[in-house]
Amino acid sequence: MVIVAFRRAIKDIRDNKFLNVVSMITIALSVFIVSAFSFFFNNATNFLDAWQQGVRIIAYLADEVPEEDVPKSDVPEPDQSETAGPEMDRAGIREKILALEGVATVVFVSKADAYRDLQQKIGKQSSLLDGLDKNPLPDAFEITLDASFRNLDHIARLAGVIAQQPHVEEVEYAQKWLHRFSGIYNLFKITGLVLAGIFFIATFLIIANTIRLIMYSRREEIEIIRIIGADAEFIKYPLFIAGMAQGFFGSICGIGLLYAAFVLTIPGIPRDTVFALFEIRFISGMFAITMVLCSMLIGWVACVFSIRKFLKF
Amino acid sequence: MISMPEEKFIIRLFNVSKQYGKKEALKDLSLNIAENEFVFVTGPSGAGKSTMIKLLYRGETASSGDIIVDGLNLARISRKQIPALRRRLGVIFQDFKLIPTRTVYHNVSLVLEVAGRKPGEIRPLVMEALEYVGIDDRADELPPVLSGGEKQRVAVARAMVGAPRIVLADEPTGSLDPDSAARIFSLLEAVHRSGATVIVATHDQEMIRRHAVRVIRLENGRLVMPAQQDERLW
Repeated sequence: MVIVAFRRAIKDIRDNKFLNVVSMITIALSVFIVSAFSFFFNNATNFLDAWQQGVRIIAYLADEVPEEDVPKSDVPEPDQSETAGPEMDRAGIREKILALEGVATVVFVSKADAYRDLQQKIGKQSSLLDGLDKNPLPDAFEITLDASFRNLDHIARLAGVIAQQPHVEEVEYAQKWLHRFSGIYNLFKITGLVLAGIFFIATFLIIANTIRLIMYSRREEIEIIRIIGADAEFIKYPLFIAGMAQGFFGSICGIGLLYAAFVLTIPGIPRDTVFALFEIRFISGMFAITMVLCSMLIGWVACVFSIRKFLKF
Repeated sequence: MISMPEEKFIIRLFNVSKQYGKKEALKDLSLNIAENEFVFVTGPSGAGKSTMIKLLYRGETASSGDIIVDGLNLARISRKQIPALRRRLGVIFQDFKLIPTRTVYHNVSLVLEVAGRKPGEIRPLVMEALEYVGIDDRADELPPVLSGGEKQRVAVARAMVGAPRIVLADEPTGSLDPDSAARIFSLLEAVHRSGATVIVATHDQEMIRRHAVRVIRLENGRLVMPAQQDERLW
C-alpha cells in the first residue's frame, strides 16, 4: 500500500510538473523570507547580548561632591565651602550605588583621570585641549552590572535609579543608540511574525489550490478508480505524499537559497566594525528542521482541506 | 412463485424505486438473479437499464426498496463498505472508462493494486487477462491510440482480472461495430463460463436473439415479464 501510494504520488507530481514546481517555488520563497527574518533576529539578539555583556553605566557627578574615602580618587580636595549640601560624600554615594540590586562594581574615575584618558585617545590632536582654562570633564562612577542584569530593561531601570542619587548629574549608557536599535529590532520582529503568518497562510492556500487543480485534472480518473473499488485512503495517500513532498522540497530549496546568500555575502563583511563583537551565525539546525516539518504539515493539512469534497461516495 | 433457497440468488431486488427529482427512473422493481446466471437487461432508451446497473454497484442509491448484492444490503451498507462491494464486481461501460494517461497494462493492474495485491502477483495476472482478451501485445500503449473494440477488450480484461463474482456491463457494445460487438459478447460468455454472474444491459436485440439466456425487460422503469421466461426467477 505504501509503495503503491509513493509510486502514485511520484506519478502525480510528474504528470502535474508545472503546478508542483510553481507550488514548490512559492513555498521556497515563503520559507526563504521567514528564515531570513529568523536569521536577522538571531544575529541581532546575539549582537545585543554581546553588547550588553560589556555595557557600563557612567554616572557623572556634580563638581561640589566631597572626596572623602572614594577609592582611586586622585583629584585635588575640593573646597568645602563650594560644596552645596555635602550631606553625602563620594564614598557614601558609591556605597549607595554598590548596594543597588544588580550592580557588580562601582569604580570612581576622577576628572583628572578622564582628562588623561581623553588626551591619550585623541593623541596628536591633544594640543587642542591646551587652550582650555580648566578641566571641563566631570568626576564619574563607572558601574558594571551582574551578568543577569545585563539587559536593556534592567540597565534602563538601574540607570534611572542611579540618576536619582544625590550629586549624580547625568547618567549615560548609550541609551539613545540602544533604544533606537531596540526599536528597529522590535519593529522587525513584529514585521517578521506578521510576514511569517501571511506567508504560511499563502503557502497553505497555494498547496490547497495545487492539490485541488490536480484533483480537478484527475476527477475522471478518480471516478474510475472508485468504481473499481478504491477506498478513500487509496486516493488520498498519494495526494498527502505529494502535498508533503511539495512542503519538503520547497522548504529545503528556501533554506538552501538562504544558505547560498549567507555563504556568498557574510565573508565579505569587514570584521573591524560592530560585527567584531559577535559571530554571525546561520539559522540553527533545529529552526531549519522546524521549517521543513511545518511546511510538510501545511502540505498535509492543505491536502486534507482540498480533497474532502472530492471523496464523498 | 416457486420458492428457492436464498443462497442461490446472488442479486435480489425488493420493490426498488429510483427517482431523479420528479422523474421516476425505476418503479417498484423486484427480481432475483441466480449465481452464475447470464442475464440481459433490455428495453428502450430511458427504460431504466443503466439506472439498475448503477444501483447494483452503488453508483446510485435507491430511493426506496432493498437491493441485496452478494449478501450485502446496499441500502444499509456504510460508505466505507462501498469499495469492498465494488471489489467483488467487475463493471464494463459503453464509454469504456479507461484512464487515458495510463497504459493498457496500468489500467488493468489498477484493479489489483486497489485490492491490495502484492506487486509480484500483479504482473502475471494482468498479462493473463490481457492475453485472454487478445490485447497483450498492446500492453504498453495508451488507450487513446486503441480502436473502440480494443478499448472495450481492455475494459473486459479489467473487469475480469480480479476474478469477480459478478460482472455488470452497461451497453458494452453500444459504440462498437458488429464484429467487435460479437467478440465482446463471446468474451463475456467466457467470463460467465468461468463462474461469474454476468448482467448485460443492452438494447441490441440482434445480440439478444442470438443468445439463449434470460432477458429482463424494462419499460418506463417497470419490469415487463416476457411470457417465455422462467417464472421462478421473478
